[in-house]
Amino acid sequence: MLPELDDIQVEKVNQRESENKANKRAVNVDMNPMVDLAFLLLTFFMLATTFSKPQAMELLIPAKPKEELAEKEMAVKESKTVSLVLLASEVKWYRGITDPQAQSLPYGELEPLLAGLNENTEGLVVLIKPLESSSYGNLVDVLDALNYSDVQRYAISELSTFDLEMQLKKEVDE
Amino acid sequence: MPRLRSIKKLPKLDMNPMVDMAFLLVTFFMMTTTFKADMPAEIVIPFSKAELKIPDKDLCMITIDKDGRVFIGLDNKFDRKQMLAYVAQQNGLQLSVDDAERFSLLSSFGVPFEELSAFVTLEKTARKLYPQSGIPTDVENDQLRHWLIGSRLANPSLRFAINGDQETPVYAVKRVFDILQDLNITRFNLITDTEKDAS
Repeated sequence: MLPELDDIQVEKVNQRESENKANKRAVNVDMNPMVDLAFLLLTFFMLATTFSKPQAMELLIPAKPKEELAEKEMAVKESKTVSLVLLASEVKWYRGITDPQAQSLPYGELEPLLAGLNENTEGLVVLIKPLESSSYGNLVDVLDALNYSDVQRYAISELSTFDLEMQLKKEVDE
Repeated sequence: MPRLRSIKKLPKLDMNPMVDMAFLLVTFFMMTTTFKADMPAEIVIPFSKAELKIPDKDLCMITIDKDGRVFIGLDNKFDRKQMLAYVAQQNGLQLSVDDAERFSLLSSFGVPFEELSAFVTLEKTARKLYPQSGIPTDVENDQLRHWLIGSRLANPSLRFAINGDQETPVYAVKRVFDILQDLNITRFNLITDTEKDAS
């Protein structure tokens, strides 16, 4: 079957060729519009696609305590707490709650500090204290430092009177 | 005559390999592409060293812009529809079948219940210009909670991601954390950008 078909086609082509040359040229399809279209689509998809997906940071928060347990607050040794007060360009940090000595530190140097504290103190608890004016960016900086310094326990907590006083003092200074 | 013909033929290029390649690339991009979802608000995401990829599917994105407005977006059309069905039923919202269909095409939205039907019936271009006031999260009128419960019911394997702006006040984010905690959603992602080494 197949060879016969081929024969017919070849015959036809030969026939055409012998007829005139214009007919032979008509076989050439102009590919340019197709190429144009292909590249247009290619450009569109290349521009519309998102390759670099944003990264994500995983955050685990404690589950809501059951009602019968809500009364029982977990006691933490004062000496094991570190408070971080988030100011716009730096962090005020201090240990403990009674008579704290606050020190300032830029956000970039938080990680080595926390890593050091974490190594020296077993069961370190970090209290993150954002101010009214703190931004989410500051919080993410701190959470990032906590994640990378292996601190297991941290919480976002309310400001104490000491923190509020410190904030006021800071505002007066400025 | 034969010489002339050979000269005329010379500038003809064989385009076929190029076309092949072009279509191959087109096919590749068509298959792999995921379109950028249009964001209701401009978000500058904070930097971190985290290197986790956000999940491709089953994602509920909670966007908080720098004015503290909250938007919510699901990645799946059917989940959106189910979420709406739950929320509408719980809160007595009247939405037509057409409106529900239109709602299911929204990648993200941030309007309170009262404005929802008006917002959904808008034309696409008008909707973009509509000043969305964000989903209320205050204690007395906690609408975000309803949407979150609805989304969880629509898709139990949903994962939550918070997309906040660098400038977003911490208290707006803390409020969303509290709502999530209250709903026993204790594991979620914060969307960040890889830190630049220079900074």
